[in-house]
Amino acid sequence: MLAQQLLNWATMGCLYALFALGFSLIFGILKVIHFSHGDVAMTAPFLCLALLHFVSAPGAAPALLAVAVLVLAVVAVGGLGWGLDRTIIRRFRDAPPLMALVATVALGIMVREAIRHLYPEGSNPHAFPNIAPGASLTGKEGAGSLALTIIAATALISGLLYLFLYRTRIGLRTRAVSEDPVVARILGIKDGQVFGATFFIASAIGATAAVLMSSYVGMARFDFGILVGLLGFSAAVIGGLGSMPGAIVGGLIIAGVETLAQSVIPGATPYRLALVFGLVMLVLIVRPTGLFGRALIEKV
Amino acid sequence: MEPDAPKRPGKGAAIILTLFFQITVALFIYALLKAENAVVVALLLASLGASFWAVSRNPAALDQLAATLRQHRAMALTLTLLILLAVPLLVGSDVYILHLLILAQLYAVLALALNFQLGSANIPNFATSASYGIGAYASALLATGLGIGFWLAVPAAVLIATLLCLAVGLLAMRARDTHLALVTIAFAVVVHQLLNTLEWTGGANGLSGIPVPTLFGHSFADPLHALGIQLPSQANFYYLSAALLAVMILAARRLQASRVGLAWNAIRADEIAARAQGIDVTRYKVTAYLADAAFAALAGAIYAAYISYISPENFTFLLSVTIMTMVIVGGMDNIAGVLIGAFLITVLPEKLRLFSDYRLFIFAGIVIAFLLIRPQGLFPKRLRTYGAAA
Repeated sequence: MLAQQLLNWATMGCLYALFALGFSLIFGILKVIHFSHGDVAMTAPFLCLALLHFVSAPGAAPALLAVAVLVLAVVAVGGLGWGLDRTIIRRFRDAPPLMALVATVALGIMVREAIRHLYPEGSNPHAFPNIAPGASLTGKEGAGSLALTIIAATALISGLLYLFLYRTRIGLRTRAVSEDPVVARILGIKDGQVFGATFFIASAIGATAAVLMSSYVGMARFDFGILVGLLGFSAAVIGGLGSMPGAIVGGLIIAGVETLAQSVIPGATPYRLALVFGLVMLVLIVRPTGLFGRALIEKV
Repeated sequence: MEPDAPKRPGKGAAIILTLFFQITVALFIYALLKAENAVVVALLLASLGASFWAVSRNPAALDQLAATLRQHRAMALTLTLLILLAVPLLVGSDVYILHLLILAQLYAVLALALNFQLGSANIPNFATSASYGIGAYASALLATGLGIGFWLAVPAAVLIATLLCLAVGLLAMRARDTHLALVTIAFAVVVHQLLNTLEWTGGANGLSGIPVPTLFGHSFADPLHALGIQLPSQANFYYLSAALLAVMILAARRLQASRVGLAWNAIRADEIAARAQGIDVTRYKVTAYLADAAFAALAGAIYAAYISYISPENFTFLLSVTIMTMVIVGGMDNIAGVLIGAFLITVLPEKLRLFSDYRLFIFAGIVIAFLLIRPQGLFPKRLRTYGAAA
């Protein structure tokens, strides 16, 4: 029982951490909360379902197929994030942050509605297969191995993200733009490239998280994006916006509060979201920059 | 008219221009509210867009119009008042239009209240839905649970909501900009979640059977008899919300012209500079919070009595974003602009129902397009004139 709870906590924590990584990455360079991040990510499971529907030839190797579909969906959603940045979000870079916030909320509505209309019967929840290795695409067995897959995937993605940010040239440029966009530009860094790469990576990570989550929950819903977005961004805020380790710790904290509310405190289950967002308020009031955020020093 | 020569029209021409402008606007609003055909709505919106475009190409004409209206202020105000009073008479049995107008008026109050913070002082606040919701729930609970009458429950609800929001506002004073926005978002979500789960707020089912207010023995559920004419019962709340909006506009104008408004603008321009000038930044920020929360709660209390059934779904974070969109689209710190923004954003989604299921999609698209094309809003804030313009 306890082991089960711990595993569930770690799994949900990893999923929230993956969403939070996207928020934090984008906030780090754009100083904007990308409120449609959750909705953009939620297009991935629907894309997977659509692709599976088209290619599910009887007798085809399921494992290989699943991997191909997953990769295709993740890349496509990364491309979607990149495209949205190119066409819309980037234009709000120099606008007051509130404009960008309102615009991305509206963008989230558009993406959500697009899923609902474009996918057949998109308003209804759709069953989503278990994608853990070894599990058959239709079977229910292997929930434990799915949880382990999610934890392993999170570790792998965080590791890759670290390598990208600290061991590649474009990662170095990304950090430079995040530090000071003006100086970065003076040094000859094409910030357009950095924005594009960041949005692609953040959206691809979000897409992976959305697919993993749909698989863990067993279904995909068009309106998961709102909740996932709010929880993911809360995790990013608690950890400190712009901080990658903070995003992971924040995800684990949020999932911890949820798990505690669900299993330890009697009768607290319905209040779990209120508790989570109460915690967000508390953290912001006591430590406005989050647990791992750098303090802002104001220049006069 | 040459834009570079601000030629004042003659007295007669000015009166005709004023009348023509007001009647055109009134007719347009009426046509938009009445329209029940997708093509007609599209045409009306296109003509509206064209006129906004024409005005933005020729800002001098707008200034001239404003000057003319100011010249004949008494007449313009009287005519507006007459038109507003006559609306329930004109729409006749079409009570849906009255319903839309009541909502538009309440949302305009919310938008103007938010404008104190967002427009005048540039303090982000996504908790409009929270103060509005607390006002609505408090008055409804006082009325249904304790049997307190509407006219007593409303001020009590306003007091409760204001104190709660003030507490959060004071605590959040340390956070700034994006982080402050996040605190208010979290507050809005917490309030929504609590309304949704607490037992005594009715949970997800909400509260129903909120009693209808009575005034001097006249129940607001009864048709209104005036001058031998019978008006639908919605007219009661139409006049009530119109009165609230009038008070709101008056308060907003007075505050904007006062020292408080000036201090808010100074904080917006540069908080540190404002502090260096001896402005008590914290005090004026608190004033903005108070003004916003009080008016939003007032609107919420009236909404609850009008609709007689409230549920948490009426007070989500999305409502805050909608109200914020009204302020941004209309024009920050410009009362007329915010009013127009509130009206358009209330009516637009209703009219887009004609495009059935795609209305949310289209609405969100219009908002984004608007933010891209005209980020300063329809009517940007005007420069302070300090009594120079008579």
